[in-house]
Amino acid sequence: MILLEARGLRFRHPGAAREALAGASLSVASGEVVAAIGPNAAGKSTLARLCCGLLAPQEGAISLQQAPMSRLGRRERARRVAFLPQNPPHDLSFTAREVALMGRAPHLGLWSLEGPHDLEIARSALDQFDALDLAERPVSQLSGGERQRVFLARAFAQEAALLVLDEPTAALDLSHQVLLVNALRRKAREGGGALLVLHDLALAGAACDRLALLDRGQVVAEGTPAEVLRPEVLSAVYGTPVEVVANPVTGQPLVAPRISR
Amino acid sequence: MRRSAAARASLSIALLTPVVLAAVAVGLAVGAGELSLSGALRGREPDATVLFRLRLPRVLLAAEVGAALSVAGVALQALLRNPLADPFVFGLSGGAAIGIAVVTVASGSAIGLAATSAASFLGVLPAQLAAVAGAMAAALLIFTLGRARGQLEPARALLAGIVFNSFASALVLSVEAVLRPDQMQAVSLWLAGTLGYEAMPLLAGAGIALLLPALVLVALAGRLNLLSLGDEGAAALGVDVGRTRLLAFFAASAAVGIAVAFTGLVGFVGLIVPHAVRLVTGPDHRVVLPASALGGAAFLVLADALARVLFRGLGAEPPVGAVTAIVGAPLFVLLMRSRA
Repeated sequence: MILLEARGLRFRHPGAAREALAGASLSVASGEVVAAIGPNAAGKSTLARLCCGLLAPQEGAISLQQAPMSRLGRRERARRVAFLPQNPPHDLSFTAREVALMGRAPHLGLWSLEGPHDLEIARSALDQFDALDLAERPVSQLSGGERQRVFLARAFAQEAALLVLDEPTAALDLSHQVLLVNALRRKAREGGGALLVLHDLALAGAACDRLALLDRGQVVAEGTPAEVLRPEVLSAVYGTPVEVVANPVTGQPLVAPRISR
Repeated sequence: MRRSAAARASLSIALLTPVVLAAVAVGLAVGAGELSLSGALRGREPDATVLFRLRLPRVLLAAEVGAALSVAGVALQALLRNPLADPFVFGLSGGAAIGIAVVTVASGSAIGLAATSAASFLGVLPAQLAAVAGAMAAALLIFTLGRARGQLEPARALLAGIVFNSFASALVLSVEAVLRPDQMQAVSLWLAGTLGYEAMPLLAGAGIALLLPALVLVALAGRLNLLSLGDEGAAALGVDVGRTRLLAFFAASAAVGIAVAFTGLVGFVGLIVPHAVRLVTGPDHRVVLPASALGGAAFLVLADALARVLFRGLGAEPPVGAVTAIVGAPLFVLLMRSRA
């Protein structure tokens, strides 16, 4: 099943000189982990927001599980796609458990009261991100990496088929990056999918099935990591010489900028 | 806090209900004169009249107003993402004061007299209607001024409310210059926040009128929690942020408008009660809202009892708004320091 289908998206932020997205197309199928990569201001975060329905495209169409985004109610949309923003709020007095439980909101009724089922989902989501021992601590007291894990748990607790995660690994150390990739691969095996915004090209190459390289609001290359992560393509888009070598153990492409000293 | 929100809300209601009942008992037992409770209950006069015609309505009014101001305080603090927001920051007090002042001036004129008799025919006082109308109009104005790019911006709304309140108090001061001494005393008593003796049917009506905004806010409690994630975070979880803000804002304004219509500007209740409640319950609005309603009811009933006892020897009593501020301000500083 196609979880996300975006066609010809155009979007200009109010007051901006140029379009953040100038005709970008992208899809995520069930079982896939896809990353949007590209230099700063290429339109990656805008694309992520459009795919969650947080912004409406000025041109183009987006559908979630074959239903047009514009026809979906807000709560129905939130049951189909979960979003992790780049900078989750850091001054929350809610505990980690309460934040994880917030992911259940689209599934709750009029009085927003969660049941034992919801409590269990939030607990196992925290557990999945090695954050169960943080459960009773206010989020405002957590470190950047701990907070990120709590918000990842919230996104997974939402139990949407599609996860859209903007820079999910930025605050995470290596072992927790691996934890996240494993959680994403498991989600994909269970029929879900994910769209990540990544700056870490080595991680993108190792963790994703497909990559979409964005440049100035357009998808300039799309395909498997081996197809997209080519030195001539990356050097041109990023504007700096880039080498790509194969990981000697896994064979996955490893990207490194050429830095002369 | 491994329990669900429903369990914690029920627990806080179960713990606070006896507190409210105890406060009501204190409120009924103390007053300007000596009263034999057992005599009053057996129907002996004048004790029965004092208890059922004077003290009971007043205690009920204090409970209703305390609950309304506290619930509104919680909602406005959530909307402005500022724990120090008071129910009156949105220009609500200023708007209500203008309403009261206008009615007081107009009551001298022919049109004012006609309006007064029409309103009393309906069983409400024109001053109360004017206060509600003034508060709601101010709320609408501040909500409009506080918007930028189609969204309510907390800092902007807060500032607009503060500026409007100064404007309104200047207006009221100017109006006071043309009032007769007795009118002026009525206005300044109202501005200070005074609990009067209302008729039972009116109290029942106010209680029912307050229940509606309170229920709206409790139904929105889960969404108010999500608003703390920011507009985008809440929207990504299926919240219609604009509509939630609008609904919560007008429910809170209506509650404040109805409350101040009866008592005038009773300050600090909507600030200190939610603050104290959050220290115990944590920030979850599904628990904080019902707990603050009960806590606010108990707080204002006790503050009123204190007002009646404090100056008994002098044969006078300070307005309850003065007592809530005198008790509330130091208590607030203590709470703030204990949190740091």
